[in-house]
Amino acid sequence: MKTATGTFAGVRAQPLDGRRGAGEVALQIRDLRKSFGSRLVLDGVGLDVGRGELVALLGANGSGKSTALRCVVGLVEPDAGSVRIAGKEVIGLSGAELTATRREAAMIFQHIHLVRRSSAFDNVCCGALGRVHPSRSLLRTLLPADIRAEAMVCLDRVGLADRAADRASRLSGGQQQRVAIARALCQRPSILLADEPVSALDPAAAERVLSLLRQLARDGLAVAAVLHQPDLARRYADRIVGLQDGRLVFDVRPEELDEDRIAALYATERQT
Amino acid sequence: MTILEASAHALPPPRARLWSWRFLCIALALGALAAAHVLAWRETEMSVSTLVEGWHGMVDFFDQAVPPDLRWDEVLRPALDGARVTLYIALLGTTLSIPVALLLAVLGARTTAPNTLVYQASRSLLSFLRAVPEIVFALVFVTAVGLGPFPGVLALLLHNVGVMGKLWSEAIEEVEPGPIEALRVAGARRSQVVTHAIVPAVAPQFIGLLLYRFDVNVRSSLVLGLVGAGGIGFLINQSIRLFRFDEMLTQILVILALVVVVDNVSALIRKRIA
Repeated sequence: MKTATGTFAGVRAQPLDGRRGAGEVALQIRDLRKSFGSRLVLDGVGLDVGRGELVALLGANGSGKSTALRCVVGLVEPDAGSVRIAGKEVIGLSGAELTATRREAAMIFQHIHLVRRSSAFDNVCCGALGRVHPSRSLLRTLLPADIRAEAMVCLDRVGLADRAADRASRLSGGQQQRVAIARALCQRPSILLADEPVSALDPAAAERVLSLLRQLARDGLAVAAVLHQPDLARRYADRIVGLQDGRLVFDVRPEELDEDRIAALYATERQT
Repeated sequence: MTILEASAHALPPPRARLWSWRFLCIALALGALAAAHVLAWRETEMSVSTLVEGWHGMVDFFDQAVPPDLRWDEVLRPALDGARVTLYIALLGTTLSIPVALLLAVLGARTTAPNTLVYQASRSLLSFLRAVPEIVFALVFVTAVGLGPFPGVLALLLHNVGVMGKLWSEAIEEVEPGPIEALRVAGARRSQVVTHAIVPAVAPQFIGLLLYRFDVNVRSSLVLGLVGAGGIGFLINQSIRLFRFDEMLTQILVILALVVVVDNVSALIRKRIA
């Protein structure tokens, strides 16, 4: 187990080549704009996330980090801008094509959002619903065998295959977040978005979740995670971007993130 | 107390005011409420003296009612049969209302309604069914299909759709939105969100509410019997008409046993599934 400080040199961003699909841009955001009423939340955000890298998004509350991610998966409709998922523009798409393209991007949440009364396994199976015909998903027992097998592989990938039959509500916070990651994996995404994935977790569980996210990036996923702990970002991310008042203010390698940048980033928390 | 000394320069606490607009509003509201009770007392012709004057009437009544008439063939067995029919009316009235109540609950919950028009229509229908008491439905159906348990079942069914649908739609609306959002993001369709996020979350509540309604419906079907819709209530009606209060007391004791048993069994099951 790593200690909380002083080890970031050991996990400094390595050259991206040599990883599966490395460098290929999976998510491309350009000039994204969004206002809620008179409040401008995104003021022309641009961001690239390549396969094989974990990008951390830092910023004060209200700086637009979560909104940017929510625009990608369609939970928020942007006013203007471009979002390309695996090279395909999603703004302006509709119907089955939009659904199919968006399925490439999976998301995990701060509040985890598992169905608490369902088992870990049933929750993971939910990730595959987008590619199962409704008639095969009406009852859990009707789910195709290959989907069920795949869900087990996903649970195994996050190290929780032995808890498959347990109710989600009986797992610890860290375990629940890992089940949520397994559910996201069952969606077969190329992009994994994490909206404050460790804000509700204790330090040890947070480390475990972040190292899992980094391993998934090493396996070829494009991972973008909103974090509130600059220190964790330094130790786990390949790249760190800072958002302030809806704009990208820096895009640096972890070792370039100094205290001045951090202080400036959180100095002007907006009063709303 | 060094910790408190440090806060000696703190701002003074907000002033406590006895007289304020809020105080005035509360006083006015209480005054209006008291006035309403005075008016109600008058309009409902409440009278202590009439109650005292009627006292011997009640004593006569109890005199005739006690001891209860417990003859098996003439009174007790018909009462038990009647109680069984009452139970059956409640059972069918509750069970047959499930499909329609379920449909209207899903269409009448803000989170699952396909659009506002359907939502409003379902809500209105539920409100109507809920607003009409089952006894009114029973009177209508007794006129239409004649005396007996059948109109009782129909009346309970209609009213129960209204209440059950409302309670269920509220349970659906209270499901936490997070997992629903997560499944939408994962590409699940509306029907899949219902089957995989909403159903698991509301199942225990649905069953609990259903048992609660069954329990209420057993008591309602007693009243329905009084207007001719079968069961033990009908027997009570007859006993009253024939001034056989000793028979009526037996019937009431049977009802008491029935209600206690149903209450306890349903409470036990609800506790188990909670």
